[in-house]
This record gives sequence, C-alpha cells and structure tokens, in this order.
Amino acid sequence: MNLNKVANQYSSVKIRGRPIRIIRPVSFSPLDLLRELRGLWHYRDLFYTLTVHRIKVRYKQSILGLAWAILQPLSLMLIYTVIFSVVAKVSSEGVPYAVFAYAALLPWTFFSSSLTNATQGLVSHTQLVTKVYFAREILPLTYVSAALFDFVVASSFLFALFLYYRVSITIYALWAIPILVLLATLATAFSLFFSALQVRFRDVGVAMPLLLQLWMFASPVVYPLSAVPQRLRGAYALNPTVGVIENFRRVVLQGVAPDFYSLGVSALLAAILLPLAYLFFKRVEATMADVI
Amino acid sequence: MIDLRLKTVSKRYRIRREVDTNSSFVQKLLLLRNRKEDFWALRDISFNVQRGEALGIIGHNGAGKSTILKLLSRITTPSAGEIMINGRLSALIEVGSGFHPELTGRENIYLNGSILGMLRREITKKLDSIVEFAELRQFIDTPVKRYSSGMYVRLGFSIAAHLDPDILLLDEVLAVGDAAFQRKCIQRIMELNKSGTTVVFISHDLQAVQRLCGRVILLKKGHIEADGDPTETIALYESSSRQLHAPERVLAGHGPSHEAVVTSLTFYDGAGKESLSFETGRPMKVTLNYEAYQPLEDVIFEVQFYSQENRLCSFFSSETLGEQIDLEAGKGSITFDCSSVGLGPGVYFVDTGIRNRLAPFGIDIDWRRRCLAVRIDYDRHLRDTFYMPYTCRHSVSHKKAQKVLVPHG
Repeated sequence: MNLNKVANQYSSVKIRGRPIRIIRPVSFSPLDLLRELRGLWHYRDLFYTLTVHRIKVRYKQSILGLAWAILQPLSLMLIYTVIFSVVAKVSSEGVPYAVFAYAALLPWTFFSSSLTNATQGLVSHTQLVTKVYFAREILPLTYVSAALFDFVVASSFLFALFLYYRVSITIYALWAIPILVLLATLATAFSLFFSALQVRFRDVGVAMPLLLQLWMFASPVVYPLSAVPQRLRGAYALNPTVGVIENFRRVVLQGVAPDFYSLGVSALLAAILLPLAYLFFKRVEATMADVI
Repeated sequence: MIDLRLKTVSKRYRIRREVDTNSSFVQKLLLLRNRKEDFWALRDISFNVQRGEALGIIGHNGAGKSTILKLLSRITTPSAGEIMINGRLSALIEVGSGFHPELTGRENIYLNGSILGMLRREITKKLDSIVEFAELRQFIDTPVKRYSSGMYVRLGFSIAAHLDPDILLLDEVLAVGDAAFQRKCIQRIMELNKSGTTVVFISHDLQAVQRLCGRVILLKKGHIEADGDPTETIALYESSSRQLHAPERVLAGHGPSHEAVVTSLTFYDGAGKESLSFETGRPMKVTLNYEAYQPLEDVIFEVQFYSQENRLCSFFSSETLGEQIDLEAGKGSITFDCSSVGLGPGVYFVDTGIRNRLAPFGIDIDWRRRCLAVRIDYDRHLRDTFYMPYTCRHSVSHKKAQKVLVPHG
C-alpha cells in the first residue's frame, strides 16, 4: 500500500525493491560471506564486460593478436624440450617430450599468468579503486577468466600436436573439465590472496616471477610425478598444483583415469584456501582505498 | 522517509611516516610498527537525509567532505558509527575515471556503465539516450583517445546521468565542461530530484549548491558546523572563510582613523520587511546607518554586490544623489531604494563603506568586506542570468486579427 502511494507520487514511477544497506566498521565474519557473494552476483555484468575488455585490449594494436596465447606456452615448450629431452634426458612416460611438456605447460601457463596479472590487478586500477565502489574481487577475477580464454585458444595447439604425434584421445579426457574447474578455483584463491597483499606490500608483485618459477619446478610440469622419489611424495603433494597438473596431463595424454589421491588432496586444499582467501580479500577491501 | 542515516560516524586515517629508503632493513621493520599517527577526518557525524531531499555539503579542503562521499559510496568503511542507506545509491565522482582510451565510445559506455553498477541490458536500453545526451552520435564508434576533453566529460556525465538511482551522490563533477553542458547537467539533476531521487551534492561551487540544494551542511575539521537553510549556511561558510565576524576596517593611507563607521546595514523587501532574500525584478531597499566622529567633507556611501566568484556585479552609490554629502559629527543614515532587482538568481556577498569621493581609489574611511550575503531567487519574469526592466505593448493593425484577440466571456 505504502509503496503504491510513493510510486504514484512521482511521475517517473520507480517500482522496485529498495535495498537497505547498513555500513559498519570492518568486522568480517564468515556469515557475511553469503551476503558478499550476493553482492558479487550483482556485478556479474561488470565481470563479463571487464573480461571481454581485458581480452580485447590485450590483442588490440598487436600484430600477432590471438597467436600470443599459443606462443607463450609454445616457446616455453621449445625451450624445455631442448633442455630436458635433448641436453638432459628426462622421462616423459613414453610420449614425445614436446607433447608431454605442452600438455602440462598449458594448465601451468593459465595458472601462472592468472597470478601474475591478477596480483597487479588492483594496484594498476588505483584510479578506479579510489573513485568508484564495486565488488573489488571482480578485478583479479577478470584476469583469471581472461587467462582461461587464453587457455582455450592455446589448447587448440595441443590438438594439433596430438594429430602430428598421433596421440589418441580417450573418454577419460573428459576428466579435464572438472580438473580445469579445480585449477581455476586454485588460481582464483591465490589471485585473491596475492592481489590483496600487493595493495599493502608491493614486494609481492616484485617477488611473483621468482615465486612462480620456483613453483613451476615444484610441480610436475617439465618432469612426471613418477620422477619424484616415493618418500618425498607426501610432502610434494601438499603443493596444490601438483594433483591438478599431473592429472590433467594424465587424462588427456595417457587416456587413463586420474590419480584420485593427488587430485583429492588438491581439491581439499582448494576447498579450504578459497574461502580463506576470499575472507582475507574482503577484509583488506574495506580500507583498500585508503592505503592503495 | 529517511534515505540516508549517519549515526556518530567517525573516520580515522593512519598517517604513516615515510620510510627513508636508505635506512637499514631492521630500522624499516621497527618503523613498520610505530610510525603511525592518527588523524580523524570525521568525528561523530550524525545526520539524516529524507527521501527526495537535495542536500549540499560544503566546507574547506580537509573538512571531511570527500571522506563523507567515500563512506557513502562504500569506497572506504567508517572507523566507528553506522551508516544506513535505503535504496540504490550511485556516486558520480570524477567523470570518466573508468574510461579506457583504446576502446570506442560505445564500448566505454558498457564498461563505465557496468563499473557504475548498471546491468548490460539496462545499458543497451539506455544507449541511444546516453549518446543523444552526450551529443556524440557521430563519434560513438571512435576510440575515446581521439576525443577532446570536452567530449570525454560529456560522455562520462551522460552515462552517470542515466544511472537512475534512488540516491545520487555528486562530487565536483559539474565544475567541468562548457557552460551550456553544465546547465544541461544541472537541469538533469534537478529533474531527477523532482522525480523523487535523493541528491547529495558535495562541492566547492557554492552557486551550484545554492541552486540545487534545499538544505546545506557545513563541515569544519570533521565536525558539522551548521546544518540548515542554504543561504544562511553558505553565508556562514563565506564569513568563516573570510573572518567576517569581525568586519575588517580597511584603513589605507593614514593609520587608524576614527573618522566615521558604518554601524549597520539592513535590507528590506517590497513590503518593508527585513529580509535577506529577494526576487529578480522585485523591489529591494537598503538602509545604511553610520556614525561620524568628526566633520567630513565630500563623502560617498556604497553598497556593492559580489558574486561567489568574487566578481563585482552591481552596486549602489550615493554619488547618484547628484549633490555633495558633507557629514557633521553624529549619526545618520542613507537609504537606497531599488524598484526592481536586476541581479540574476544566486547568492551575492555585500561590501559596504564610506569613502572620500576625491581620494584616490582604495582610501576608505570605513569599509566592511563581505559583511552580508543576500540570496536572489528566480521569479516568473526571469529565466536567465540578469533582468532588464521593460514594458510590453501589443498593437494590431489588421482588423480581422483584432477580432480573434477579443476575449471570450
């Protein structure tokens, strides 16, 4: 009744719910997470627009354009193939080393470029962060989804390699989809954490390339999981990217079921890390504009 | 109905002392812990804004204006207190801060619109109207890096003007763009306000605040100094910024002279009632009381009107009397009678004083700078900046036409 009265009063009628928001000093409880996620949903269109924007801007005024998405993992593949299969002989579990490396470099590039770009995501948008409010997690998230787009483009080259080396794909390759979701979850968790940390400590961005390099060698990218000594495997699997990368290569390249133990560890870690990272991010977000 | 409620809101900033890059790592770590100093940008601010109200917030730099804006728009969170926002709030702060130079105008409308919280289908629906308002139809598929700064601003404001929020926050955005477009913007905001949108306008532009707002809050060092009628609050702000409470006696030439002083200045409206607000085209009367301490020869009395930009707009002078005024020691008064005010709408600041007519400019007997503020409002005769008194006559030479003009009944 009351609403009708108000609506009639004004010529340009606004009949829609008026959200009531209470703003209080920072005190973030896990219960607020749900409310924040609802707020995030409101910005879904911004997420979409910004992701498209990232992709467009990256390839505008560049000659190679989309080919860059393939060139990055491809050039790494060439380097590692020379080092680890020509110079030093590393086991590649019976498949040509080039395919072996590319099948792991593909998810790894997605993960590492997500982190590299997302870490700078907030500080490179200082103008925006200090002028407008929107769910700030959108910024790092769009970098993850733009990297996912690159992943899709780059995986076309994997199929080309498969054809060339006559690798056959089995039904188990479908496992790649849930594995990819898991990897994206991990990338999101770490992106949120590092981008928020970068706001206060710029050291993070500087350290990132080094960290990612170490991280890659601590993951089964250029060597198979089987090359890791059995007694170290327990600790080794605590690296959340281990289960994901190894199993991605396993299902697409070897065409067998994933190793559920290592995959389970990764999934468990992702399930713990994502909410923690999000809580941390939201806490930093509250006063981000003051310190950025 | 209350749209915004601030309850004892405070905001503290930590001022960090800069770390000397040459200091050792240990020193830096120590400094990290205790290099903080507190600064309260806002302290226990409480106020409500009713639905459909247009509130202006003014104050000097550092008074806490932009902090309020940042709190309301959720850019940052308060250190204490509580803010209640009832409705969809959009902040229009620094037009175009979300533009990307490589993208076209159209792409930027989508980008900027969604940053400001619009949904894509909403933007698609309003796209034509946005482009139309910005007057950029033929450039809409050009990258914005090729835009002139005026085009940039127009596009930015146009997007924001189409947000259609319940509550609209405005910063200094109106200070940009050409005059015609500015007027269009103010018009648009007034329309929104009339259709029920609550407006909070934070600005240095007192004239715009005066035109737009029905209520003004004056902030001073993080506190609310005044809250109420725009004319009074703006006058208080002006006086506090010029230390007007003790009107200065400008005595050039020969030391502190005690020749004569203006003791009071009073404005009356057409009905003879004391007033500080007038309407363009209507009468105004000013009476100036003075006291002379010694006989003075050939003086003139003046009342000057200054715009908020400090431009002298008009003045009354006793020189127009046509005869020389010589003062005896004692009290007296001068009255200026104006049958129709020519000043356009706005707030004007008043200077008054007694000058020696023959003395070179600047040597005054007594001069009160900005001692009052008067407000001039629109009246139905005027639609723009100033009023020219005129009469209107209608004559018809055609007989047939005359018939048409005969009023019925």
